[in-house]
Amino acid sequence: MRLSGLTLRHFRNLGSQDLEFPPEGIALIGDNAQGKSNFLEAIYYLETFRSFRGARDEQLVGFNSELFRVTGTMQATDEECGTEVVAAAFERNGKRKKVSVNGEEPERLGDALGRLAAVVFSPRDTQLVSGGPKKRRRFLDIVLSLSQPGYLAAIQEYRRILQQRNVSLKTGQPPSVVMAWDSGLIKSGASVTRARRDWIDLRCEAFRDYYARISDGVSARITYAPSLSLTGAASEGGIAEAFRDALAVTAERERRVGATVVGPHRDEVQLQLDNGGSTLDLRQYGSGGQRRTAALALRLVEAKSIRESRRKQPLILLDDVFAEFDSGRSERVLELMETEETGQVVLTAPREEHVRIHSDSLPRWRITAGVVAT
Amino acid sequence: MSVIDQLTGELSRLPGIGPKTALRLVHYLMKGSKGDTRRLSRTIAQLAERIRPCRVCGNFSEDELCQVCSDPRRDRSTICVVEEAYEVGSIERTGQYRGLFHVLGGRLSPLDGVGPAELNMDGLLERVQRSSGEIGEVILATNASVEGEATAVYLEHEIRPLGPRVTRLARGIPVGGDLEYIDGNTIAQALAGRREMES
Ligand SMILES: [Zn+2]
Repeated sequence: MRLSGLTLRHFRNLGSQDLEFPPEGIALIGDNAQGKSNFLEAIYYLETFRSFRGARDEQLVGFNSELFRVTGTMQATDEECGTEVVAAAFERNGKRKKVSVNGEEPERLGDALGRLAAVVFSPRDTQLVSGGPKKRRRFLDIVLSLSQPGYLAAIQEYRRILQQRNVSLKTGQPPSVVMAWDSGLIKSGASVTRARRDWIDLRCEAFRDYYARISDGVSARITYAPSLSLTGAASEGGIAEAFRDALAVTAERERRVGATVVGPHRDEVQLQLDNGGSTLDLRQYGSGGQRRTAALALRLVEAKSIRESRRKQPLILLDDVFAEFDSGRSERVLELMETEETGQVVLTAPREEHVRIHSDSLPRWRITAGVVAT
Repeated sequence: MSVIDQLTGELSRLPGIGPKTALRLVHYLMKGSKGDTRRLSRTIAQLAERIRPCRVCGNFSEDELCQVCSDPRRDRSTICVVEEAYEVGSIERTGQYRGLFHVLGGRLSPLDGVGPAELNMDGLLERVQRSSGEIGEVILATNASVEGEATAVYLEHEIRPLGPRVTRLARGIPVGGDLEYIDGNTIAQALAGRREMES
């Protein structure tokens, strides 16, 4: 899949522009605060219909405008078929989001997710490693919602039931009312847990491999640390049983604290360094460079997962990422990306000399005050 | 405020009607015959005066007992539980159900401050208890939403000890549904709820 056209209408400071993309991608060069990240944000919006920077839709509407609209035209490459036009618009007043695929509005927003396939690499990614467990759960939720049918519905159902159940606990409802939510919580929760465990089981080797290649041989691992004890619980039914048992064990404690204390909303994903027999937790003890490497490895795993599960060559969006790497690491990252990520690339950089990947082939575009010159 | 503004405001509070549609309706009424408009206004007033919940089941009714409860031909051994009174009509229109109804007036939703006490649940349990065994089956026809499911689970636990069989509406492929266009969750539920073929 490659992006061949992008139409922007009042997305942040990008105004009104119609752009045609070359097959290999582009390097977008511009000073800080000219709109480089906004540009990548607009493209990625077409995949998840959310800002990758965590901004609310209202914040994405340009100054003095009522609504924004982003339209992307995707061209099929070898394995896929057909051209697709994905459009997303948001109206500030009615707080209404409208999404269409080839001009038709899908019944649910979820049906239009992931038509565009992209991975963003950004300096903020180190938060995936250094931030709280919520950041890593969110990473898994996005990857899984886009690649596994049914995951999005399961996680949304789980969140809704959890909210209802927690209010029941907090307001001191009788056990019969709290327990009314249990079977739904267990069913959706087991489905979420199984999907997360299977994804990490499947991708942990790739993570180890990418980390080693970037760091010149250092061994690291990604491990799923679920809230539920899964020993011996291989199937979804087994996980559901473990969940039911855990709820029985914690029944008294959850009444005391007024919240559900076990379940996938308490999952953790551990990122560790193998340190000659012992392990070192990267979240707590990792150096800046180690965390950046782990974050980069996670994004590369995300791209690999898109290629394998969704059978799409993801568009690679690089948000000024190479500035912070030391030179040795940087060379290895560039080499790795040049060989692994052969699809279309859109990268941003403050200066020409920072364009260090596909630097011979990428056409240069410039951005000033939101206006792109091709 | 003029009558036109006032009526436009009232109409635009109805579901599915925005200010523009409301104004169009007002214009239409002003152009039409005065007799028609008076009849409409009388019927609306009667709705407010005459319709009340049935004393037994909570269905819409013009008398103390609704048309279902007062019909001697209905099967009194079965109660079908729905969330809202307008859902009685959906089941009645099938012409396939001959039993009685019970309207809860909502669904469990702690987030909205709705617990068992806010719903017509005691009335249901009382009906089952008082029937001293006459009610053999309670069909839980609450919606397939997260809240509807929890409401069904709660009621099942409360009703089963009282004796009747408790059943739940099946979920699955809609009639005329083409597998290709049905979402995975619905197909999974239909698979889980599959039954023996009757020959
Ligand atoms: Zn009645």
